[in-house]
Amino acid sequence: MIESLPSTKQQPKGPEANQEITAKVKSFELKKNDKYYAWLFLGPSILLLTVFVFFPMLRTLYLSLFLTDTFGNPTVFVGLKNYAILLKSTSYIASLKATGTYVISVSIFTIIFGLLLAALANQKLRGIGFFRNIFTATMGVSVSVSAVFWLFMFNPSIGILNKVVTAFGFHPIAWLTTPGWAMTAVIATTVWMHLGFTFLLFFGALQAVPKSLYDAASVSGASSRYQFWHITLPMISPTMFFVAVITLISGFKSFGLIDLMTGGGPTNATNLLVYRVYKDAFMNGNYAQASTEAIFLTIIIAIITFVQFKLLAKRVNY
Amino acid sequence: MKKLNQLFKRYWQLFSAAAVVLIIGLGVFGYSRSQVHAAAGRTRVVFWHEMKGPGQKKLVTFINEFNKSQSKYEVVPQFQGGYNDVIQKIMNTHGTDASPAIFQSMDISTSQMYHSGFTVPMQKFIDKENYDVSKIASVARGVATRNNTLLAMPFNTSQTTLYYNAGLLKKYNITPPPVNPTYSDITRVSKQLYDRSNHKVKGISVESYSWLFEQFLSNANEEFANKNDGHTGISTKVNFTGPTAIKSMTWVQDRVKYGDFMNFGSHKNEMAVFLSNKLGIYMQTSADMSVLAKGLGKNLGVTYYPRPDGVKANGISVGGASLWISNDKSEAVQKGAWEFTKFLINPKNQARWEKATGYLAINKDSANEPILKQSYEKLPMLKVPSDQLKSAKANYTNSGIFVDGVVAARSLIQNAMQQIYAGKDVYKSLKAAEDSYNKVLESNNLANGWTK
Repeated sequence: MIESLPSTKQQPKGPEANQEITAKVKSFELKKNDKYYAWLFLGPSILLLTVFVFFPMLRTLYLSLFLTDTFGNPTVFVGLKNYAILLKSTSYIASLKATGTYVISVSIFTIIFGLLLAALANQKLRGIGFFRNIFTATMGVSVSVSAVFWLFMFNPSIGILNKVVTAFGFHPIAWLTTPGWAMTAVIATTVWMHLGFTFLLFFGALQAVPKSLYDAASVSGASSRYQFWHITLPMISPTMFFVAVITLISGFKSFGLIDLMTGGGPTNATNLLVYRVYKDAFMNGNYAQASTEAIFLTIIIAIITFVQFKLLAKRVNY
Repeated sequence: MKKLNQLFKRYWQLFSAAAVVLIIGLGVFGYSRSQVHAAAGRTRVVFWHEMKGPGQKKLVTFINEFNKSQSKYEVVPQFQGGYNDVIQKIMNTHGTDASPAIFQSMDISTSQMYHSGFTVPMQKFIDKENYDVSKIASVARGVATRNNTLLAMPFNTSQTTLYYNAGLLKKYNITPPPVNPTYSDITRVSKQLYDRSNHKVKGISVESYSWLFEQFLSNANEEFANKNDGHTGISTKVNFTGPTAIKSMTWVQDRVKYGDFMNFGSHKNEMAVFLSNKLGIYMQTSADMSVLAKGLGKNLGVTYYPRPDGVKANGISVGGASLWISNDKSEAVQKGAWEFTKFLINPKNQARWEKATGYLAINKDSANEPILKQSYEKLPMLKVPSDQLKSAKANYTNSGIFVDGVVAARSLIQNAMQQIYAGKDVYKSLKAAEDSYNKVLESNNLANGWTK
């Protein structure tokens, strides 16, 4: 619609001017029709969102106020009782804590290791291109494939990890069957999976930092550590922020790995919120409970994203 | 503005092109579908199943054979994913064209299918032609029976079985466990193996899997839920803290404490370790048999599921799935589904089924079929699970659990088992699961209008 803005330039003279004026009048007329255009262009997405997002959301809210029968139909109105049950449930609180541990550890470790790899790959060394490729390799590995081979590595008797552990003289670890280790194992696998993409983002960001800044810093005698904290970090902070947001959100959505590696066990130690919703709805057939959990999850993610934007956005230099 | 207009025009062009393609596509699709129906000139019987791997392969063979064997019906197999998915799909498609004529649904969905009212009892067809159903193993029928009416036909049937590594036992000079062993028989073998191998070999593994817990109760004739495990009414309470529940879990916990036990976290891991001669005993579905026999050959040992000391074995119930005929299809289609069912459970096909998949032949005459006779002669232990199946007489406690939503109970029990393996108090862990599930039952019964 830039064309319809009144021009601040000098008015051209002659027949061209007339043309311009008529075009302006036309565009003014069309402005009234803009809202039709708006609906026309927004219509399809609004329709799709209504059918696939807004309706299910409202339906979820509705279901969370009922008890549901075998067919998933709401039959008995219970008001906010489902919410009260959930907040009192020790296993739900445990799931909340587990999700917190998981999400925070995953994003912190992903950032640390992603940055580390990117910093390594940023050196100008012979054959570094090979490593740059290798470091992004996890992007091409699907969740199911990585779950399967990590499962074999975590096997308590014949897995390679325990071979390493026993070689150092420690007792073999029951990776996926003791609550603490299971969480560690799942976090490690998730970080490993996220690493490729994170590496790529950080690597791109590092390459984009202007060399002149480092040159200037070196001339004035700044140490490389000083350069890292005062040049590199501020320059890549938008990427850092982006990575933090996406790993946090994808952490909340983590499903495949949990399903394939632990199934939420042992003793619900890795029963994260999303997995719980799935289990309650599609395995236990308790749609009311699952809907209540889904509403909670939505609220939690909304709050965290809001806080993240408020807090982190201030520290980002664009 | 001109640009916008062009864009607008473009947009409509694209949109109408897409619409035309879609309409033509749907038309062709619909036409081809009706063509399949018409060209065959047969009644179409859609069959939903959840078999993968060797099971799927064999099932498709059976279907092709059935379709060739007669000209009235055409069975069309449609793979539908996991057992849990199918329940949801049946609940949501019943009464529409999308629903199947016959479908496979797991043992613990029996109550839900019964209460849905979406199916015709198999008994109707059995009575009509006086089909001799006594040839079908009694505990297998038990899981799909209500008020002496057979609701569904058991098809892919398995039972929990105790496997031991006979090669390892020989190596360390240990007497194998007897047929129909007690907990202490198993303890002896497990301990000896662990001790004599200088702790290099673990004695036993029991996956934290509720099905195994349920079978401990079955084998000691102990109720899981009131109203005879739901067979004679709507269960209102469950019982996870009875004598056998405590005894069996204490037994496993004692093994954990002694050190001869190891929890491998998953069935797959457990099996892999067992096959690599690092584990003496484990208990799992009889369907593991084909893989284990291939891996260990004559070194594989098999015996019945254990019972508490001093208690007579009551027999265990079956797992797997049954075939259900939907009532939203015409009489002719239902008849076709029944004919197909009979075809699948005849002695010969059940024998071939057992041989190919490791699921147990539910037809008692299958054991006389040459294909099974030969394989039993070659490896006699292959016969053990089938003997176990036939030896039990059905009663309420070994006929599965007739309660809606057993899946939820299973995850609670699984959680309790994991706590017990981690050293928590047996009674407290089981009691917590029991209390939680009683609440689930209460609200479930209320939601379904089953509370007076």
